[in-house]
Amino acid sequence: MSDSKQKYSRRDFFKASGLIAAGAVGGPTVLGGLRKAEAAAPEVAPMESHFSACDMCFNKCGLIARSENGVVTKLDPNPKFLKSRGMLCARGNAGINQVYDPDRLKYPLLRVGERGEGKWKRISWDEALDLAASKMEEVRKKYLPCGHLFSAGTDLQSQFVGRFAEVYGSFNVTSHESLCLVSNNRAFLDTFGEVPHPDVLNSKYIIMAGANRFEALVTPDSMDLMTTMRENGCKLVTLDPRYTKTAALSDEWYPIKPGTDMVFMLALAHVIVGEKLYDAQWIEEKTYGIEQLAEHVKQYTPEFAAEECGIPAKAIARIAREIAAAAPAAMIYPGRRSSDYEDSTQIRRAFAIVNGLLGNWDRPGGLLAARAVGLKGVQYDAPWYDDNHYDRVDADKVPMMFEHEGSFLLTRDAVLADDPYEVRGWLVYKTNPMGTAPNRKKTIEMMNKMDFVTVVDIAMSDTAWYADLVLPSQSYLERADPCSGLQGSSACACVIKRDPVIDPLYESRACFDVMKGLAERMDLGEFFDFTIPEYREKQLAGLPKAEEVLDRDGVYYNPSKVYGIYEGKVYKTLSKKVELYNQRYEQMGIDPLPVYTPPTKVPANQFRLVIGRNALVTQSSTANNELLHEFVPTNTLWLNPQAAQKLNIADGDVVQVSSSVGTQELKAEVTDKIRTDTVYMLTGFNTLSTRQHLAHNNGASIADILEGDIDAITGNAALHTTFVTVTRKVA
Amino acid sequence: MPNQMYKRHDRSDIFIHWFNAACWILLLLTGVGLIQHSAIDPFGSGYPEALRAMVGGGGNLLTIHEGIGLLWILGFVFYLIVNFKGAKFFLSEVFPVSPERDVPWLFKKMALMTIGPKVLKDPTLPDQGYYNMGQKVFAQASVVGGIVIAVTGIIMWLSDRSLGAEAVGIVSWSIFLHFIGVGLVFAGLLVHIYMAAISPEERPGFMSMFTGVVPGDYAKHHHRLWWEKIKTENK
Amino acid sequence: MAQQLAMVIDATKCIDCKGCVAACKVANNVPEGQWRNWIKQDEGTPTPGVLPTAKTRFQPGACMHCENPTCVDACPTGATYKDKETGAVIINDALCIGCGNCIPACPYNARFRNAVKRKADKCNYCPERRAHGLLPACVDTCPTKARVFGDINDPESEAGRLFRKNKAKLVQVAAKTDTKPNMYYIGDPGLQDWAGEAVIPASMIAMKESAPFIKGIVGLSGLGVLAMLSRQLFVSSDENKENDDA
Repeated sequence: MSDSKQKYSRRDFFKASGLIAAGAVGGPTVLGGLRKAEAAAPEVAPMESHFSACDMCFNKCGLIARSENGVVTKLDPNPKFLKSRGMLCARGNAGINQVYDPDRLKYPLLRVGERGEGKWKRISWDEALDLAASKMEEVRKKYLPCGHLFSAGTDLQSQFVGRFAEVYGSFNVTSHESLCLVSNNRAFLDTFGEVPHPDVLNSKYIIMAGANRFEALVTPDSMDLMTTMRENGCKLVTLDPRYTKTAALSDEWYPIKPGTDMVFMLALAHVIVGEKLYDAQWIEEKTYGIEQLAEHVKQYTPEFAAEECGIPAKAIARIAREIAAAAPAAMIYPGRRSSDYEDSTQIRRAFAIVNGLLGNWDRPGGLLAARAVGLKGVQYDAPWYDDNHYDRVDADKVPMMFEHEGSFLLTRDAVLADDPYEVRGWLVYKTNPMGTAPNRKKTIEMMNKMDFVTVVDIAMSDTAWYADLVLPSQSYLERADPCSGLQGSSACACVIKRDPVIDPLYESRACFDVMKGLAERMDLGEFFDFTIPEYREKQLAGLPKAEEVLDRDGVYYNPSKVYGIYEGKVYKTLSKKVELYNQRYEQMGIDPLPVYTPPTKVPANQFRLVIGRNALVTQSSTANNELLHEFVPTNTLWLNPQAAQKLNIADGDVVQVSSSVGTQELKAEVTDKIRTDTVYMLTGFNTLSTRQHLAHNNGASIADILEGDIDAITGNAALHTTFVTVTRKVA
Repeated sequence: MPNQMYKRHDRSDIFIHWFNAACWILLLLTGVGLIQHSAIDPFGSGYPEALRAMVGGGGNLLTIHEGIGLLWILGFVFYLIVNFKGAKFFLSEVFPVSPERDVPWLFKKMALMTIGPKVLKDPTLPDQGYYNMGQKVFAQASVVGGIVIAVTGIIMWLSDRSLGAEAVGIVSWSIFLHFIGVGLVFAGLLVHIYMAAISPEERPGFMSMFTGVVPGDYAKHHHRLWWEKIKTENK
Repeated sequence: MAQQLAMVIDATKCIDCKGCVAACKVANNVPEGQWRNWIKQDEGTPTPGVLPTAKTRFQPGACMHCENPTCVDACPTGATYKDKETGAVIINDALCIGCGNCIPACPYNARFRNAVKRKADKCNYCPERRAHGLLPACVDTCPTKARVFGDINDPESEAGRLFRKNKAKLVQVAAKTDTKPNMYYIGDPGLQDWAGEAVIPASMIAMKESAPFIKGIVGLSGLGVLAMLSRQLFVSSDENKENDDA
């Protein structure tokens, strides 16, 4: 492809295939209705190609959108996009169904009935923006700037929501991440000083716990895992209460007792430290706290761990020796979603510590440091509001929350309690806490507390369903987006951007334009006084060739050192070393080394409900995707045959699943792919919103059942602490 | 006494005969080109290949065949509207068979035409009516075969236009019946063409398919019962 | 040597993500509930610990563009045929009337009657994409690049290279009817006994069986005409005289 556009005209096609001549043979007027000819080459329709980046999950895989007459017909992977290894998964392919979803939001809607009743009135954009701006002004006046909450999902335009919140004066911005991965980030940050990129491709031994990389696709890790297993003979050991596809493709799989990953890791440390299987020099030079660790893990013998986690002691000891022998090209895979238990950060600290012992930091096959790609931040001077609250509404509830992510669950509690202050306005962009946050009833209560809620989204999500004003946003194929820097492990550090592939459908507007429209109405227009291309120009100021390369290849690479970045550099921790023992935790009264507490025993006649991913579902955002719905028409409750027999439940029976906060009904899938004490279901079903007709009244909503505990260190949601009863529904 | 001419065919009858003849020849030529299977196609794969290449592909050939087929059926619908009485008369003459007169006639005629009169003890042929038994046999085959061919043709035509997957069995059997129907009618058609157009004794009959009339001595000789009937009627 | 387009698939690389299935569906506008390709799953038994070698396997597949395509034999019109140039088994949509003969004739169940087009449908290696220089959709999109497509007779192509390199250990799915499929698996594809038998519908068999009789009857009729004609030309004058004499 010579540039970002590739056009075939009909005439070129006829020239190329010689069909003009063929057509003349069969083309007298009598045969007017006949086909021109049946050549060996098929009919070649004109096709345009545009680069873009996928938005069906967070990975942002480079893609080439093929379109005919302004309609996208196919999304293909961008072969030059190294981070995704030139692939586009099923969800990526189903992006077309998101863009052309008949249920998509088409124009601004104002609620006219009760919240959640589904009565709406179509209004004009001017009316909508005038109304939202005046309501936001009201909230600011009455409850101070922090009285307004802003939530934005993972999107290249979410930064404009953050910018808007800041110039509006609110500290209260929550992201989706506190329902997802912040415990893991915290743990690795507090061990290595930054969040690592696992060099799966070059690893020889990987322990996969709390992650399901072949189903929950992460680029390039998922692809690299298969490549290294197939081509480098990498060994994969998976710990999972479910026999996931990752488990099935592993060399070893252990249906670990949920909540005991930490003791397994500590036992690995016990063996590695006890048998001195680590690189003593590396540990001496690069780490802090080996003595304390050695003392601490003495108690965690493989035998003790075996009792707790159900994995044979011999296997634990063997695995410890094997992975130590493979080090440093070996790793405990850091995983991603870590919202599991109240000690999730400590659990993940145990993962990080074993990685520390393996000496794999900054080395091939280990954990890699982030590489700067050279994008510049776009600065602005946000106004300061003297008359405001001092801090976030969810501040000081947990010791180590990420300020810029917040904690959705702590925020929700604070809003409900009006403690420390009242929050009465909410603007949500492309995130759906009503559909994904645990304990949906509480989210509804939170909604009811609000004076005015505006939701900007492409679809009528459950959150939108309860809002006052719903604004249709553009899909990723309809808009220009700022540049974004991505790192794909050892594969690349790169820059991407998006430009419109098609004209916006209906009355949809980009989030940026919505924020700009609101800002202009609130005397904050100066902070949005630019266009996306101008914004990108500033971002790319240090990369003179980038724009041109982006147009040519759809991606810009800025090659830099991959390994050994930390040679001669200090780690961003208190001790300036890899902290096996965390000094700051000690100062704050947090366990400086992870202390294992057995998980709460599953009560009799109950099950632990675990959640998980599937390569065909991105939580609630794919709920109404027609193509993906064909693959996953509903969610089911995985139930072990032994447990099912006791409960007299047969495969396909409708069961009621109840926790202390809610009850849902769905079909049982009786399978020996899950432990007897555990049940599992997929997210994204049984929406409240009827405008997601494929998911409404279909399956069960996990948000309705999960109880909503939090990780004590980060305030991250703890999604595996809910116990449920399962009963066969009597017809 | 001059050889009096007797009216045998209406203008619409003449039209439908030649219209049918033209359609059949074209349908046969295009239809055979639509069969391409080593175990079935009558002249090997060369014919369908050549024909398809000529019209720009098998799809076009199918469209042409379907078009002519539909035209043929419409032609008959048109004929029935214009001359329903004629059609009724035709059917009433063609289907009744007299075992004592018609059956011996057929066998004797076949022997006479191919081997000669010497094989027969008594070579005299029983008298025949409006149609002789040979004509009746072919007409019967044409009527039955034509209906089968038309119906199965319409089923096939509808197959990829409005029929669902549950109908594939019917469509597939239609292909078979269409093929059998055409095969049998074609076998008769060869004899019909010879008798009517090549054999000298039926020359007046052949001419009547243009003029509509036959000479009296021809009628007397070939269709004596009919000749007697119209002679009395004419008196 | 003529081309033989084929897929050489490393089944052990498949993670059952369904990317290929989704891509195919979009690229070819395959109606709801119908599929041109698949990933078969050999479940295996979840066994904790070191997993047995006969563990879960995923087997990507589609029309195998066989050397002996039984589907072609089931088609009376040649609407489906094995393309001489590429070795691909093609359906000519314009000629196909959707009689369904070819569907049970495929032992791999690769064919279906497209509910919208009402014609036979199956994998055709995405000719529209190839005309634009693109790979078939399933191959292009595959995350682990388990599917490799190309001319196996061309040693320069990736497929040809893999085909040659692994010739001794390539596995084909054996159907009860040996159609000589052109889909080759490197590595254990798991289940190999799922394919059935090629069933030519009774109506098609009847047509094939009756064809000689039909030809025979037409032939007899033709002979009769010839006999009459030769009598007319050579014998008639004498005998007529005899008759007149009598």
